[in-house]
Amino acid sequence: MSPVVDRGLTGRQPKAVQSALAILEAVARAGAGVTAKEVAEDVGLPPATAYRLLNLLVGEEYLVRLPDLHGFALGRKVAGLSRGTGPPPVCTAAREVLADLRRRVRFGVHLVLYSGPVLRCADVDPDHPLRSPEAVERHLHATAVGKLLLAEQPDWREVVHPHRLHALTARTVTRPAELDAELRRVAERDVALQAGQLHEGVSCAAVPVRAPSGVLVAAIAVTAPGEDESVVGARTADAVDSARRLGPLLG
Amino acid sequence: MGRGSRAASRPTPAGPLPVSSPVTGLRPRRLSFPEVLAQSVSALAPSAAMVTVPSIVLVTSGAATLPALAAATALVLLVGWCLTQFGRRMAAVGGTYSYTAKGLGPVGALVGGWGLLVGYAAVATAALVGAAVYLSGVLGLRPSPLVVAGLGALLGAAAAFCTVRGIQLSARVALALEVVSIGVVLAVLGVLLLVPRGGPGGAGAVVDGGAAWGAVAVGVVLGVTAFMGFESAATLGVEARRPLVAVPRAVLWTPAVAGVLLVAAAAAQVVLLRAAPLDVLTSPVPVAELADRQGLGLLRRVLDVGIAASFLACVTGSANALGRVLFCMGREGVLPSALGRTHPRFQTPHVALAVVLPAVVGVPVVALAAGGAPRTVLTAALTVSALGYVVAYVLACLAMPVLLHRIGELTALPAVGGLVAGVGGLLVLLGALAGAAWSGRGVVVAVFLAAMAPGLAWAAWLRRRAPDRLAAVGVYDQATASSVLPGSLPTRPRR
Repeated sequence: MSPVVDRGLTGRQPKAVQSALAILEAVARAGAGVTAKEVAEDVGLPPATAYRLLNLLVGEEYLVRLPDLHGFALGRKVAGLSRGTGPPPVCTAAREVLADLRRRVRFGVHLVLYSGPVLRCADVDPDHPLRSPEAVERHLHATAVGKLLLAEQPDWREVVHPHRLHALTARTVTRPAELDAELRRVAERDVALQAGQLHEGVSCAAVPVRAPSGVLVAAIAVTAPGEDESVVGARTADAVDSARRLGPLLG
Repeated sequence: MGRGSRAASRPTPAGPLPVSSPVTGLRPRRLSFPEVLAQSVSALAPSAAMVTVPSIVLVTSGAATLPALAAATALVLLVGWCLTQFGRRMAAVGGTYSYTAKGLGPVGALVGGWGLLVGYAAVATAALVGAAVYLSGVLGLRPSPLVVAGLGALLGAAAAFCTVRGIQLSARVALALEVVSIGVVLAVLGVLLLVPRGGPGGAGAVVDGGAAWGAVAVGVVLGVTAFMGFESAATLGVEARRPLVAVPRAVLWTPAVAGVLLVAAAAAQVVLLRAAPLDVLTSPVPVAELADRQGLGLLRRVLDVGIAASFLACVTGSANALGRVLFCMGREGVLPSALGRTHPRFQTPHVALAVVLPAVVGVPVVALAAGGAPRTVLTAALTVSALGYVVAYVLACLAMPVLLHRIGELTALPAVGGLVAGVGGLLVLLGALAGAAWSGRGVVVAVFLAAMAPGLAWAAWLRRRAPDRLAAVGVYDQATASSVLPGSLPTRPRR
């Protein structure tokens, strides 16, 4: 998927890989703000080696150097390592907001949660189920919720390889430059639309749910039959209101 | 703060992270590694250096030319290595200015940063004149001041378009120009080596002449000036993809590649010039002169195209870096905050570029239109820029161990490396100043000091009258709420 730790480490240097993993564990154990010196002592590596590996892991964005420059924290890429676990829990208050929206809208209403570069379908509409939640989680370039996530990234190419923009239908955006333009529109409007790009005959609008800090934490997806963006686009007003109420609950 | 941390077994809880970086507005994470490398390579202008620097060093250092150039490469590589220590830890927009701030604080940073501005601006000026001079050669025009001024204005407008239109466009243009120009220079040298030569000519005695230690040192100083600008990838911290990997790599690879090219070009010229008359050696571009005398006029034209391309790439590269350092200072509030604005669509620091580009184009055009000889303007601007760069490099090298000590990551190697590079750079600076003053170019030193004066005065004024404006110095593309694992750190609420 995303570029792995490839340069500078080869399979013939098992010790370096083990040390790098030990460093990741040490930062996870100590929590955000741990210093390089503390990590080196914890792992039992010579300082110069530990600092080099720390810089390498920061370069690959598995670790983050905090703004004071001496503390470290786990990076967003770490979220991608734990992709495979079951559906994330959603609190009752948030479920009630969704139920309320489903009563007002005749289309499918779903909740996806974002964690770094990963999205999970957390609450699928029981009356209008998604055809394939796995496909939604996988093909970020072809779904409205995926585009919302990609538009939020500093560089979407780190999440989806530009050579892997597979055509799922005739309408899927497969050229990186087109996706660039589309993501720019998504960022401007703060809503993502998709018509017949994932499955033929299904369109979708995704409205962002932001924590009070402004961080994107989830999205409400509204799905409808047909391949006309304007039909789902017209239904986003209700969803925007619900998204505003969800923000403090999920952030 | 650091002292108390030994007692605490748990790390001090890290403060909340902001939602957006202080340097947003530039187009984030788009440049591939070759494009980042192109920024550094173009600001260095290797092909122009390859055909002009060796002969200058040959005149002073004789048989010690190759060792002197190798020593210069080694010193620049050491400086580059020092800068990678910063580059692996922070994605800067202000280049060595931002780096220096993290070690020596705001005043040291402003001195180094102003030196860097002088370096970029002067080299952009010089390269513009150079591009115009060689282009006039290509077009078959006599490089009179007016012709050069006119062509300079045209080329300046083209460079301005590229830099404002987008970093990716200008990086790609620079990459293409550099590939062409380095290829041309290597091809021309190869052809000249294949053409049969006579016995030792008038220049042989100089080329093979022994050199005193002092003369070798001057050779090293001249050699170092050939590398100026190699660090300018350090201004692409926001725009580079995987900046903490790509930027240090570019900063280290550029002097390595340029060093190999320079030493190879010098070795070829030693062989060629040994058999040449003395006046060829002392001509501005001995390689072109040689081609002319061999009756290879076409080769000379081709070489002129190559050098013009290299100089033009150098104008865009230096202007890009210059604009970003000013943008950074504008964002910090050290300079007017309008400089910190970015173009909504092109996502370039268009205000900063709009302020500096007319000056970069205007100064040489006016100097030439007033009747200054193109070569004089070119070499004077190059000398001023080299002095500015070295000030910036010395301070950044000295700042490196200080930063590592502050964050508790200092080991023996960076401590020694930083000190050696800093002292070495300082000696180069003093050597260059003394050399320029003694060789009757005291005016150039005066121009350099006059260019530095406003920056130094501004730093002193801010320090006395508005120390709070200095507090923000050193902003970079820091970690934000979305760069850490969600939930691992509190987030600062949006204002």
